Parts: sequence; C-alpha cells; structure tokens
Amino acid sequence: MGAIVAGCLTSHAPNITAKPVIADPRQRERFVAGLETMRRRLAAARPDVLVVFANDHLQNFFYDNMPAVCVGVAASYWAPSKGGAAFLKVPARQIPGARDWAKALVQAGLERGFDLAYAHELEFWDDVSVPLHFLLPDASVPIVPILTNCVAPPLPRPRRSYELGAFVEAFVDDARPGAERVALLGTGGISHWIGVPGHGRINPEFDQRVLDAIREGRGESLAFLTHDEIETQGGNGGQEVRNWIAVLGALHGKKGEVLAYEPVPDWLTGCGAVWMDV
Amino acid sequence: MAPMSEYQLNKLLFDTAGRHQMVESISDEQELAAYDLSPAEREALREGDLTRLYELGANPYLIRRVFRPRFKI
Repeated sequence: MGAIVAGCLTSHAPNITAKPVIADPRQRERFVAGLETMRRRLAAARPDVLVVFANDHLQNFFYDNMPAVCVGVAASYWAPSKGGAAFLKVPARQIPGARDWAKALVQAGLERGFDLAYAHELEFWDDVSVPLHFLLPDASVPIVPILTNCVAPPLPRPRRSYELGAFVEAFVDDARPGAERVALLGTGGISHWIGVPGHGRINPEFDQRVLDAIREGRGESLAFLTHDEIETQGGNGGQEVRNWIAVLGALHGKKGEVLAYEPVPDWLTGCGAVWMDV
Repeated sequence: MAPMSEYQLNKLLFDTAGRHQMVESISDEQELAAYDLSPAEREALREGDLTRLYELGANPYLIRRVFRPRFKI
C-alpha cells in the first residue's frame, strides 16, 4: 500500500501572478507566506507523485464534449501553456505527468464503478499553473491532474467529489506499491463571482464556514452543500470548492490548518491556503 | 440542458475567445450569421449586454474572456 503524505488546499486566480501588486500588500504578503509554508511542508513530505484536483476553465473542454471528471494521462503538461503564460505573466513551462499512475487510476475506476474520462493532452491556465508556480517551482514532482467540471452546469454533486477523493485514497491504499508517497492538492474557490451579475463579489462568511468545517475535521459536511447553496453563497467560482471536497474525501475526518485566508477584492477571490493532517 | 440556440451562443463566444479576441460587443453581421442564434441573443451580442447574455445562457467564464474590456478588474 502506498501512503498519502500531504494534503494541500489552495485557491487560484489569474491576478495572483498576473497582477500581484494591485492587491493590498499586507493581504498579498500573508497569502504568499501561507503558500510558501505549504511549499516547504510539501517538499519535506517528499512525494513521488502529486495528484491535483482542479478544474478546466473551458480551455480544454467545451459544450460539445464535457466530461464530469477527467484524468490527465499525459507524460507532461503545459502549466501554463504559452497562451496562459501571456495573461498569467509567468513563463510557459512543462510539468511532468505521472502517466502510468494516471492510467492505472482510470483502469481501477472502471473496475470499481468510477467511470472516469481521460485525456492525453491538457493545457493549464491559472487552475493548475498558479498553485504550482508557488508550490512546485522546480517542477520536480510528476502530477496527475483530475479535472472536475465546476464551470459548465450541470455539475457533478459535491458528494461525488467527496466519493472521488475516497476512491483515490482507496486506490493509493490498495493498488500502489508500499514505498510510494502520494501528495494531494485541491485547488479552486473559495468564494468568487466571475463574469456574472455581481462580478467581483467575495463572501468571507461562506469562506469561513468552509474553513471552520475543515479546521474542525468536519470536511464531510461540505459534501452536502448543494449547487444552489454554493452558487448563492459562494458564487459561480465557489463551485470549484469541489476540488477541495475531493481532498477532504481522501482524508476523511482529518483536520486542516488554515495557513492563510485573505479575501482579496482585486484578485476577485476569497484566497485560502490550508494544510491538511494526513 | 442548454437549448440548441444557447449552445450556438456559447460556440460563438468560445470561437471568439479561441482567436484571443477581446471586444466590447459583437456586431459583425457576417460573424453573427455563422451561428444559429435567436433574435434575443443577436441583440444582446450587438449591444454587449452582459447581464442579458448571462440570462440567455452564455457561460460566465466565456463572457469574462470575450468581453474583458467591459470589466474594471
């Protein structure tokens, strides 16, 4: 059996790297310091593979063929791609993919009743590139991206994301070699309203509700959030909390330490960074 | 599920975003004619009425990308 050696939860937003200076400097420093603590702890956990629960922003998928959950099975990923780099203001780069690991996960899913789509080519924007810019600056750990549809309703239920995380945990536990060290990252949310009436809104109350549940080891309660509840209290961008919920499902009952939380208006996002007990 | 016309609206926005075009509105008749849009969708595109486009089913992430100049942040 492999071991989950780290669990990280972070927000992502283009402006975190594209326009860092428009944020209140104190907020920026506190949030980036939280990510730096996370980077150090993640490196100290010495993972062999990093499973990244994230979401597409309609750069890979469109309404002609929209997977609920899709696993990247590529040998490498552009994170960011050249197009993404242009607006994220960080250099385009390739991150290695844990191809065999990802394929084995897809196969295990088919055998265990979790039918996952898969993709041999994915490009990433802020969704994966911004967190990895801070957490994996040397691209030293191969990743397995697992993309859940959080942007093009109808969306999978949050409960399904919790189950997805539990499935990944069971896969690591049952099917991976004993010495393998697996880290998990869930990225998205917390509250933000993007491109909708009310664009730019953040709801710190919703964010604190999410963070309190995680602090207290009640992550499973978030799996019972409904789409409408998230949409009205966390905004359409809040639907990305599914990616956090997947990690919480993998680390059932564990508590998290909030390293930073800053509702940054100019980054359009309630920015959280949480380190999970494993 | 999105009605067909809503799909066409998003397809137009997706194609526009794919060309890295950022605009205030979309009023090129030739461009509009390439998609099977409802009169309400055409009008909202011509006027750059983002709220109306959202109500008509345009994906907010595509609204954000295509009509970027309309957003202060």
